[in-house]
Amino acid sequence: MLRRTGTTIALLALIGLTACKGPEGTGTADDATDSGGRITVWVDPPRLPAVNAFQQAHPEIPVDVMTINGNVGSTELQQKFVLFNQAGTGWPDAIFFPSNDDIAWAANSKINYVRDLTDDLADVIAQYAPSSISQCRIDGLFRCLRNDAAPDVLWYDKQLMAAWGYQPPTTWEDYEKLSLRIAAEHPGYVTGFLGDAYAPDRYLWASGCPTNDRLSERQVHINLGDPRCTRVRDLLDHLVAADVVSPAGIFSPDATALGKRLVMSPGAVWWGSFLFRDTWKVPPGRIAAAAPLRWTADPTPFTSSEGGGLWGFSRHIKGTQLQNTLTFARFVATDPRWQVDLSVGLPGVGPLQQPWLTRQRETGYLADFDAAAAAFVLASTIVRPERDYTRYNTGTVWTHTVTPALTSGRSFAHAWTVFGERLVGEARSFGYTVHNSA
Amino acid sequence: MTTYRSIQTEPWTPRHQVHPQPVPARKVRRTGKTGRAVRTGRRAAAVLVLPYVALLLVGGLVPAGYAVVKSLQNESETGFGGISSYQRVVSDLRFAETFGNVALTLLIWLPLMLIGVVGLALLVDASPGRFGTTMRFIYYLPGALAGVANFMLWLFLLDPGQSPIAFLWHGFGYGTLNEVAQPGNLPYILAAMLFFQGAGTWVVVLSGGLHSIPDHVLEAARIDGAGAWDTAWRVKLPMIRPWLGYLTLLNLAYGFQLFLEPQVLSQVTHGLIAPQWTPNQLGFSYAYQILDTPMAAAMSVILLAITLGVGLLVVRRSGLFDDGR
Repeated sequence: MLRRTGTTIALLALIGLTACKGPEGTGTADDATDSGGRITVWVDPPRLPAVNAFQQAHPEIPVDVMTINGNVGSTELQQKFVLFNQAGTGWPDAIFFPSNDDIAWAANSKINYVRDLTDDLADVIAQYAPSSISQCRIDGLFRCLRNDAAPDVLWYDKQLMAAWGYQPPTTWEDYEKLSLRIAAEHPGYVTGFLGDAYAPDRYLWASGCPTNDRLSERQVHINLGDPRCTRVRDLLDHLVAADVVSPAGIFSPDATALGKRLVMSPGAVWWGSFLFRDTWKVPPGRIAAAAPLRWTADPTPFTSSEGGGLWGFSRHIKGTQLQNTLTFARFVATDPRWQVDLSVGLPGVGPLQQPWLTRQRETGYLADFDAAAAAFVLASTIVRPERDYTRYNTGTVWTHTVTPALTSGRSFAHAWTVFGERLVGEARSFGYTVHNSA
Repeated sequence: MTTYRSIQTEPWTPRHQVHPQPVPARKVRRTGKTGRAVRTGRRAAAVLVLPYVALLLVGGLVPAGYAVVKSLQNESETGFGGISSYQRVVSDLRFAETFGNVALTLLIWLPLMLIGVVGLALLVDASPGRFGTTMRFIYYLPGALAGVANFMLWLFLLDPGQSPIAFLWHGFGYGTLNEVAQPGNLPYILAAMLFFQGAGTWVVVLSGGLHSIPDHVLEAARIDGAGAWDTAWRVKLPMIRPWLGYLTLLNLAYGFQLFLEPQVLSQVTHGLIAPQWTPNQLGFSYAYQILDTPMAAAMSVILLAITLGVGLLVVRRSGLFDDGR
């Protein structure tokens, strides 16, 4: 009896403790503080130069920098924010999210860390092509800024194509036909990688397949039976059966040898320097980029994007600390001293894209730079907007369903079924109600 | 058979002699029968047990109680939710799967561990002098590389591009780390990892148990005509049964709590292994990704119930806590 009373008391105390907080808005938090000026910034190692450039440009603003783990898919960052929320302190003022999906939990009402920038940075937001910033627009409010655009274009090996007498494809249908021809005429060469977390972005997002169609914080539309999904499924099924796409991922060490035998592939703008030049060591003058592939049936061309970093800013600050943080936000998004001089990605804001491209031309790596530059700029304006970052991670679901199935020699159709079941299951376990209407 | 019976008729039954924890209070009671001695003994026992009880409270009972209370909250943690969090956990499609993964790993690992460790310990025990101690030390070495260090070593072993046992992987038809570490192989990989990490320590522990078997018992067995095999099988093994129970118990608990190895392997293979491969990882994901603390608490309570249940079973069957009196 005594024990039961004790348990009841403990239970009631807990309920009392947890019941006192209601949902908050997206502006400055009730518990916001002002350091008087000093700001704290968290970045992954590649973004450290941005902070250094800011400190040189604004020596009057004291900055504390912390370098965070840049591993895509790592959960430790979210864990830290859960603990900050419990402690009521510890949040950084600005953060570069190592993974774009992070914006989903950072804007979620439970963690609710990123502030609404719609009014404070309206002039900055106006400089983005709408398709570049649409993933930051959550429930009508802009909760993040894009660092760099990473739209998908068509990469191809110009020398191989010319030597074999092929024309780079412009549609997905042609891409399939040419891939199958390459499989038959030049076995051992590949036209795509399927094993990394960006693969569903490259193929499914580009087609408009609803995997991440967020309706609200608790509602999502997933329908792998949609014709925009089944056409990609069939395409990939044929390519896998012909053994012309690799089950390896682009970041996998196994891809290094294969990278040199990649004839063509859809891929993000950053593939040029990061993958072809630095990772796969393809000699200069071979790799070229063309406009994104389009589906013949689609009335307008669309593409997808792979990553391209996002900046978020804290709701838990006010006064001078907030003003300085917004100054930092403006700098990292729009200042050429970072975006043009130092950043490795195509700037998210439109006006800086040409200056950045001019600098890239000097490196002289790509085979036909002007065509590539035009493709990059076009691609950054036609990224499909209706694909959102959700709290379940489609890329991770892909890598632990499709990748192992293909690695162990199963058919793509089998992999697809497992992927679909798992995707819906994970969405549900995150509390989403899944709508699968067409 | 005759050998065994003759051992049974010895005045000292095995359990009397080899029990690992003689109880001090009882000794006092046996020697001095005055009430004062009993009281002193009780006080000494209390002093000895007190730090353990304090730790049990802080590190065991209080968190477990908190988890039970938390698991009974509703999803928004604003009130009583009954068993709704348990329902959410059980209806997660990964729930049964994670337990299946652990069960499969245990099914491979525990027999390997028991047979391997007992075999090695008996061999060490049967090899007197320097050779035995040297071998025991060598067996212990892989265990010295604990946790992350052990894991890093295994990463090299698993990668056919760098591994000294690459011929083995090529024999299976694997050419890349992703082919070796594919999800279907994970129970075997984990079993091997855990075996090499833990076997050495347990060989030392079991050697301790084997050492405590009195010489006269072994001598009696020898006189009765038992060979090395019979001595090991019919005398030594039954006498170290509580140690085997202890081994099973601790390793079962470790198996159910698997977290680090699949977690890091998932990152190294760029997500080839599901980030929620074990129940513990799933619970972690409830707490820090799904942000449903009652679900995480419910998962912990379920794990606790299972490990406690299995633990009690092992304790009973192995006579781990029997006094032998």
